[in-house]
Amino acid sequence: MTAPGSRHYVSPHEVTAAWSAAAGDRVVRVVVDAAGGDNAPAEVVRGALQAAGPDIHIVLVGDEGTVRGLLPADAAHVSIVHAADVIGYDEEPAWAARNKTGSSIVVGLKLVHEGEADAFVSAGNTGAVVAGSLLYVRRIKGVQRPAICTIMPCMPKPIAFLDVGANAEYQPEHLRQFAVMGQAFAREVMGIPEPVVGLLSIGEEPTKGTPDVIEAHRLIAADGHIRFYGNVEGRDIMNRVVDVVVTDGFTGNVALKTIEGSARGILGALRQTIDLSAKTKLGGLLLRRDLLRLKHALDPNEFGGAILAGVSAPVIIAHGSSTARGIAQAVRMGRRAVVSELLPSISAELGAHAPTV
Amino acid sequence: MTREEVFEHVKGILVETLSVDEDKVTMEARFQEDLETDSLDLVELVMTMEEKFDIKISDAEAAQIKTVGDAVDFVIKTAGA
Repeated sequence: MTAPGSRHYVSPHEVTAAWSAAAGDRVVRVVVDAAGGDNAPAEVVRGALQAAGPDIHIVLVGDEGTVRGLLPADAAHVSIVHAADVIGYDEEPAWAARNKTGSSIVVGLKLVHEGEADAFVSAGNTGAVVAGSLLYVRRIKGVQRPAICTIMPCMPKPIAFLDVGANAEYQPEHLRQFAVMGQAFAREVMGIPEPVVGLLSIGEEPTKGTPDVIEAHRLIAADGHIRFYGNVEGRDIMNRVVDVVVTDGFTGNVALKTIEGSARGILGALRQTIDLSAKTKLGGLLLRRDLLRLKHALDPNEFGGAILAGVSAPVIIAHGSSTARGIAQAVRMGRRAVVSELLPSISAELGAHAPTV
Repeated sequence: MTREEVFEHVKGILVETLSVDEDKVTMEARFQEDLETDSLDLVELVMTMEEKFDIKISDAEAAQIKTVGDAVDFVIKTAGA
């Protein structure tokens, strides 16, 4: 199978615009962890309010007094559920999720599990959100491991990238499941009609990589439901040879942070160069606009966050440093995941046919 | 419940919830070394056992459960099964 040929530029906005599209008169209820994130609670509450509207009801979970103090008197489409406790960044995720039952993460996830809400958004302790989701929301039947699936703002089009950190250890079959889930996410949430999947390795040939990656290649290639391109290399991620890149959580997390760090470094250097030339040439001023567009295209707040794929309700993990805009986008991604066929299609594909070993 | 019955329940949880290979689940199997479960798997197992057998397992008690047999014995002791 060849890579999709179109080099037409698709801005992040074109992807996210669909997240606000009408879905009948359905009101989606999204829990927002008001206590999670570097900028909590003020920015988080502000972002949640930006997303609230006739088709999105926000349930803010956190210290009731604090959260109420941040709401304007006329705030609509918002309710508050009290949670006195917070799971910090330094806590052991699994045990904290089990024991801190009064924390915003656990209270919020339980609301989703009990059917009081449809999706969950948090910028807090990622490990605790993953653990809490497994313990309280539970995985979709047939899913062995959930994966954190993020959207990479690539040129010319954004791609889905998973797992970026839910599991440090893995088996080849997990990667096949990630391919299925990533494909469903790209189609249902990012609006890519026939997404093509690549497996991250160190060479294009199927024999390249660790034994586990080689075995994963075989499993994915044998799965008739996956549009498999084959292996892709690290340099292909940002150059978008495929629509979905699959890897294990450790590799994915290293790759993600390397790319984010490099992008920041290059943007900084570019800005310096342009600032210098702007003093003498008009060209620098014109370039600034392009630079701004590039910066916008690479801004993590544009997509809001990553989804925890494989659990039985949409759980969105927002960046720890999310601004109000990032939280609002995360809420919209959650809504899109709820109204789309994401969960039914993962369930149908991973529940229906047994592992092809 | 007999020891054998409790074992079958625990095995069911391990296979269903944690996707552990059925053949590997014996009384002697150690969670970490033989079944390759991580800390999150163990917490999930403990919480599912609490639900299924209607018991409470403290963190300290959970830390003592190293093998499938330990888990079975704990259920029998606590639930008086």
